[in-house]
Amino acid sequence: MTELSRTQIRDLMGQVLANQGKVLPDDDGTDLRDVGFRSLDFSELALRVEDETGEELNFDAPGLRRIATVGDVLDFLVELQRQ
Amino acid sequence: MSDSATRTPLVPPSTVVLVSGGSRGLGLAIVTDLLSAGLKVAAFARTVTPELAKLADTEPQRCYVDSVDVTDLAATQVFVRAAEDRLGPIDGLVNNAAVGQDSLHVHTATADIARIIETNLTAPLQLTRLVVRRMLAQGRRGRIVNVTSICAQRGFPGLVAYSATKGGMDAATRSLARELGGRMLVNAVAPGFFASEMSAVLGQTQLDQIVRRTPTGHLTAPEEVVPVVRMLLRDQTNINGQAIVVDGAASI
Repeated sequence: MTELSRTQIRDLMGQVLANQGKVLPDDDGTDLRDVGFRSLDFSELALRVEDETGEELNFDAPGLRRIATVGDVLDFLVELQRQ
Repeated sequence: MSDSATRTPLVPPSTVVLVSGGSRGLGLAIVTDLLSAGLKVAAFARTVTPELAKLADTEPQRCYVDSVDVTDLAATQVFVRAAEDRLGPIDGLVNNAAVGQDSLHVHTATADIARIIETNLTAPLQLTRLVVRRMLAQGRRGRIVNVTSICAQRGFPGLVAYSATKGGMDAATRSLARELGGRMLVNAVAPGFFASEMSAVLGQTQLDQIVRRTPTGHLTAPEEVVPVVRMLLRDQTNINGQAIVVDGAASI
């Protein structure tokens, strides 16, 4: 299975935000509320990662609720690919 | 053959009730309550908890329990026969066994969707068919209570497949009530969210929001649902084909 790097996922996250006229900040510690990155944006990003890797990424909601920052999103998806 | 007009005799109160998913939470509360009311209860669950086992030990003449997966039709058939041998003919059924969900639909594995539907919709329909066939074949009248959910009537994120199954059971309740022509009373009880394991899926923020929007100011507790189930099994009410919501008016 192809696995996307954290940097590649960050690029995809930037694309998701750019499509909405938003900008992904450089600081991974930025709060997602400040970026305007919502749960459906997370879904879109996860599905884009799936498209790239060819593997479904399924997960429960509680893990999602712990995600607060840009870095959390990237960490979650990097980890999810390894499961 | 005629379906018309002669007055159908009343459906008597249930005396021997089968409860699926009776090992914890609402199911255990229903089993406990029905035993306290003097009924005989047969209950199964995937795992018989110490609490359920204790009830059976305390009331061996009135309570029969075993470990059965509700999706295992052959095992449920064996259980029903054994329960009737022990307690007498079943004339009440509470379809309570269910699995929850906690994932957005697009991120729910296809196998999990299939499992939710099999457990929450296919299995209770099969169990109902099994029990109704036995009751009809022996000329018995009886009562069925399907435990559904407010999710059957209102939308909540993360519960798409779960909601579909509960909505399906609400719909089946209405059609069964029609189909059984008054020989059996078929109703659903649709609780709001419990502050328990099923509701943990929503997260504290969503639960707090539901509490704020609930005129009674609290989430539903199993003890508040149990009397409604008992009423539908026992009382002469002429309620049939209904889904009774127990949620403190959160959903209105």
